[in-house]
Amino acid sequence: MDAAQAVHEKFLGALASGRLPSRADAPDPAAAGLSRGRATDIFLSQLTSRQMDRLSRHLQARGEGFYTIGSSGHEGNAAVAAALRVTDMAFLHYRSNAFQLHRSRQLPGGTPTWDMLLSFAASSEDPISGGRHKVIGSKSLAIPPQTSTIASHLPKAVGAAFSIGIARRLGMTGLPLPDDAVVLTSFGDASANHSTAQGAFNTAGWAAFQGSPMPLIFLCEDNGIGISTRTPTGWIEAQFRHRAGLHYIKCDGTDLVSAYAGAAEAADYARRTRKPVFLHMGTVRLYGHAGSDVQGAYLPKALIEADEARDPLLAGAALMTEHGWMSAGEIAEAYQEIGATLARQAEAAIQRPKIITPAHVMQSLIPPKREVARVNTPSDEDRKAMFGSDAGQMDKPMHMARLLSWALADLMLAHKEIAVMGEDVGPKGGVYNVTAKLHQRFGSARVVNTLLDEQAILGLAIGMAHNGFIPMPEIQFLAYVHNAEDQIRGEAATLSFFSDGQYSNPMVIRIAGLGYQKGFGGHFHNDNSLAVFRDIPGVILAVPSNGRDATQMLRECVRLAREEQRVIVFVEPIALYMTRDLHKEGDGLWTSVYEAPGEGAPIRLGDVGVHGDGTDLAIVTYGNGYYLSRQAEKLLADDGIKARVIDLRWLGPVDEAKLVAAVGDAKRILIVDECRITGSQSEALMATFVERTPDKKLARIAADDSFIPLGKAATLTLPSRDSIIAAAKELLA
Amino acid sequence: MSARKTAIVVAPGRGTYGKGELGSIARFHGARFADLVADFDAQRRDRGQPTVTELDGADRFSVATHMRGDVAAPLIYTATALDYLSIDREKYDIVAALGNSMGWYSALALGGAVSVEDGFRISNAMGLNSQTHGPGGQILLQVVDEDWRPVPGLREKLLDLAAAIDARPDHALALSIDLAGMLVLAGNEEGLAALLAEAPPTPGRDPLRLAGHGPFHTALMFGSSDKARAELPVALFGRPDIPMVDGRGHIWRRFSSDPAEIWDYTFGHQILAPYDFALSVQVAVKEYAPDAIILPGPGDTLGGAIAQSLIGIGWQGMTSKADFMARQASDPILFSMGRADQRALVTGQR
Repeated sequence: MDAAQAVHEKFLGALASGRLPSRADAPDPAAAGLSRGRATDIFLSQLTSRQMDRLSRHLQARGEGFYTIGSSGHEGNAAVAAALRVTDMAFLHYRSNAFQLHRSRQLPGGTPTWDMLLSFAASSEDPISGGRHKVIGSKSLAIPPQTSTIASHLPKAVGAAFSIGIARRLGMTGLPLPDDAVVLTSFGDASANHSTAQGAFNTAGWAAFQGSPMPLIFLCEDNGIGISTRTPTGWIEAQFRHRAGLHYIKCDGTDLVSAYAGAAEAADYARRTRKPVFLHMGTVRLYGHAGSDVQGAYLPKALIEADEARDPLLAGAALMTEHGWMSAGEIAEAYQEIGATLARQAEAAIQRPKIITPAHVMQSLIPPKREVARVNTPSDEDRKAMFGSDAGQMDKPMHMARLLSWALADLMLAHKEIAVMGEDVGPKGGVYNVTAKLHQRFGSARVVNTLLDEQAILGLAIGMAHNGFIPMPEIQFLAYVHNAEDQIRGEAATLSFFSDGQYSNPMVIRIAGLGYQKGFGGHFHNDNSLAVFRDIPGVILAVPSNGRDATQMLRECVRLAREEQRVIVFVEPIALYMTRDLHKEGDGLWTSVYEAPGEGAPIRLGDVGVHGDGTDLAIVTYGNGYYLSRQAEKLLADDGIKARVIDLRWLGPVDEAKLVAAVGDAKRILIVDECRITGSQSEALMATFVERTPDKKLARIAADDSFIPLGKAATLTLPSRDSIIAAAKELLA
Repeated sequence: MSARKTAIVVAPGRGTYGKGELGSIARFHGARFADLVADFDAQRRDRGQPTVTELDGADRFSVATHMRGDVAAPLIYTATALDYLSIDREKYDIVAALGNSMGWYSALALGGAVSVEDGFRISNAMGLNSQTHGPGGQILLQVVDEDWRPVPGLREKLLDLAAAIDARPDHALALSIDLAGMLVLAGNEEGLAALLAEAPPTPGRDPLRLAGHGPFHTALMFGSSDKARAELPVALFGRPDIPMVDGRGHIWRRFSSDPAEIWDYTFGHQILAPYDFALSVQVAVKEYAPDAIILPGPGDTLGGAIAQSLIGIGWQGMTSKADFMARQASDPILFSMGRADQRALVTGQR
């Protein structure tokens, strides 16, 4: 017999025979603060969640449902929902149907079962994802959407919790999270082992250990197994009972009173002390990991039966009958009635519209534009006061690092919701001094020195963005982002997609990167691949080549984040931070005078930079490649070759129309790409020009597929001024 | 599978017992529910009020008499409750109850949260009690076109205007009932006058002041709320037998609903804040997916609002009046017991 059916029949059999488990050792509902009405209401949500799991399997068998990872055995999380407020943001794992159903009881007018069935059926009317994915989530219930979890949602939960204290310190109001909110995040015992989860526990503990507010509940729903691999008995408790910075509470999720008592204690502790709690809730996983999983293949029968005996519905039924709140007959009747209602709803839900066009699928890749408060333009006096002695330097040409730091300061002065976070961004001023003096000017609430963990930095940014901030995290080196890549790829970038544009996490991620650092640092400080960002739908990738552009582009990035809710990666070429000269020492051609906000020509998303109007050749490039190509262009001119140099500035997305227009009547195109040729922008550019300008001669040079060595060998694998000249001459030959 | 169909019942509010309904209680129910009618009459007599039998049996319909709250409410309740009891339960399994405005008091009885007799007690008391308010009333405005599709922006315009008027000194105006295709706004005389003067053109008939109605479902009704709490005790309330959907779209479940909380909602929020009838219908159909919607009680005027609520969510593919009418002609979803043909289908009696 199908395992789900077996559990179903066991439950009905127990009700019919009256053989329900003893609750002798379980807590008393009144002592836990649970009235008859509240306890019974939780129990009804649990029955509903269970029937929904059964239904999802039937729908899948009919080809009408597309998701069968169930919540059966985890229905204790309904009691957790009861112990929290509807405004306590909840980042949930996939066995949280009962939580969402029951949280909806706090907000009149919701249709939680209907909504969930639309989601099972992948209807475009599914109110959270618009039919794009089966996620647990709801805008009105403060549950950002979450799908298959590898614990990747834990870092942002830490960030969201941290943001509550920051908002309070800054006196910000009207944010999504009330200032007495707590944040909940749930996960299984197996994913507690994930390095991302471990990083989140560590970050929360690290912050709390030094007194930073962190009103956060880590809810570990421990069912003792991850797909087929069993968690060693006692492992979770042994690991977390005495972990620094975390307060440990244990409860039994198979008994709704115990679950409620534990959750209420956790909520009270987190809300009162604003410190993180590890709520360890025992659960069971009934009938396998998902619909296709037959746990009899890897678990002994006795163990499966022992788990089934701990079915939370049995304990719930025992609670109801022992208090006379519902008879066994009434429970069976309610359970069957819920099943019948869901079946009717499902027939209606599967008739609702589906997504049928690619355009509709992609509609929410990019969040909608939003109305934002008008910029509070700081007065000259305010700016002078902020810049202090720097103000006197502003009429002098400066290098990119300095111009960026001033641009950041001006942005933070104008937009109170901007916060900067990263390792060493505080008093030290960041790895290359770009955040210099920000800490002194804006304080530690807005310039947050983090621990050394890129997942934590990005998670902090994502979580703060959920609460209305515009985070500008700094990653010290491009090579360091890779251990945290999923925070951008799997989390930040997908949020709008999975929430049909209802949730967003606008931010500008600043990353120092790319090569040419005169032999210092080797691969990890000269990483020259941007491929990791180039294929993520919806993410903007900006690479400025000089200080003036960097200033204007950073302002555009903040505008894109504020007004269009975009996620932007802003890669700053390290080798150009302090570069002053272009052709010869002392020419100062790579410096510029700071353009205050409102001054200078703005650079909008997709705008390319063009130097010269030569028609022999257009060199298309970016970053260090642009700098080297400018050197090459002068020497080519000396040889009578008239070139123009085009700076892409924006690598994702490239505005092809603007690019082709910039190439104009140039007869040949040379693409210069400082990144490793495989996966580099040059590949896409070659394709673009083949398709759009088939009559033009085309060539490219890019870096070899190698890591960057030390010393004089550092640039051997990279394009150089001379290799650009050689390639240009070959193209003209 | 049994051939029994599922249905939700929707209890109508004020303004539904009119000239055409006079005598209908005796005609439909006099014989079958004589005991209940006698109980209702006794309750009225005890309070020195003319009885239901007398009012229903009057020679002619009098707007001055029959439309007053203390008369209309008990008549509407009686017709609704007895119609409900007349539904053929072999044919229909009632899966949820809801109501519009004072129809909520009927829904309490239909759902079993109060007895049929106490439902009358509450409706009768609230009919009188609801006259406890300062000067003010309700105005009805249409926000859909003749095909029952929303006129773009009109609803928002009216609600914005109401908020703007409400913010003026000495003015009170707010949403009272959302009927999907129509909005009922309520306020004091200053607020209502400003609305009539400034309202943008609306389709259909001009904005209509509802005769004899107070500023129901607004904060101006605080006196009524206080009085209701004082004279109608929690003890009248129990747990419902079937789920009830209230004017916030909240579902009061069987088994778990706390009678004290139902009482508190009924005589608090329900009286003092907007009644979102459209949402309650939409919640009920989504969460109970019934085969049919039955409108018991006098008249059929609420049928339009029910249909418009369904159209508002494209329920079962219906997105216009034409869709709804076609559906009614081929496979009816809405049964108004005030219509003889539909009544017969629901009661099994001709």
